[in-house]
Amino acid sequence: MGGSSDSYDSAIASHRALHSIKQELERHPIVIEARGFPAGEFAEVVADLATERWGVDTDNPTLTVRWFAGESQDARPEFSFHYNDAERDLGWHHHEQNHVEGWGHFQERTGTSAYSYEAYTFPSENPAGLVWEVMSNLSSRI
Amino acid sequence: MTDSAGVEAWKEQTTAFDRIQSVASAVSQPQPASHIAAEAHVAENTARNHLERLVELNILLKSNQDGTALYAPDPLHTRVQMLRDLLEEHDRDGLIQLKTSLQSQTEDWQSQYDVEAPSELRDRAAETETASQTREIRNTASDWELVLYRLSIVEDAIENYNTYSEDFQVSA
Repeated sequence: MGGSSDSYDSAIASHRALHSIKQELERHPIVIEARGFPAGEFAEVVADLATERWGVDTDNPTLTVRWFAGESQDARPEFSFHYNDAERDLGWHHHEQNHVEGWGHFQERTGTSAYSYEAYTFPSENPAGLVWEVMSNLSSRI
Repeated sequence: MTDSAGVEAWKEQTTAFDRIQSVASAVSQPQPASHIAAEAHVAENTARNHLERLVELNILLKSNQDGTALYAPDPLHTRVQMLRDLLEEHDRDGLIQLKTSLQSQTEDWQSQYDVEAPSELRDRAAETETASQTREIRNTASDWELVLYRLSIVEDAIENYNTYSEDFQVSA
């Protein structure tokens, strides 16, 4: 299994984070259903959203969340909360990249054009609370 | 400091116990009550009471470091929780199909990247030419680790299917 210290396993830590994310998404009033994806693997969490409750009518609004807890206990987690619907493609990501300074960033594009990036500072690295922060950001963005 | 709109919504839709459980179940290393309380937006004394309750329920493990109590998820609880989910979703044949599917997925990655294990694949990330290739490799290595963990539990569920399914039916 993954991980580099004796008592730490990155796969178990990542699984726990994904489970916590799914649980928090299921508690959010905009979420219709949250499930592990691909079916059977549970490598990410996909949530179907009822954005019409925010006054936004669109087709297939979904939030896809990935989370890797890091190779060691002290490593920073790598994660992304990415939203798609018929017109929008945007998300908040936290991983190494070379578009903006730091790991945290917001990325967005229209259609198949290239993404535009802006730096974003996540208020926490705990997945449970981040679900609610990102959903709040999302309601403002769309 | 005032709470953000996200935190306000979280507090409105959940109890302090819910938030403490969610936060404590996802920490990647043992944490003191003060840290978990801050992350869950709960008063420290309330958090400590809820954490002790979660220890009693075998959801968390408590350890001690220099006189400070630290809390972390109980690995056994995590495993049993996944076993329970698998047994609720699949019968024995379904579990065998799932095992085959997970094995095929790991074999595909072995073949595609010509490596035996996700740790070897992660080492490859240092040799890529573009950031997107690095990202793809790191994502695949992470997915691979999750699949191996899940596979170990699926195999456990198949091997002990009769015992576990009886136990879970009794406790359901």
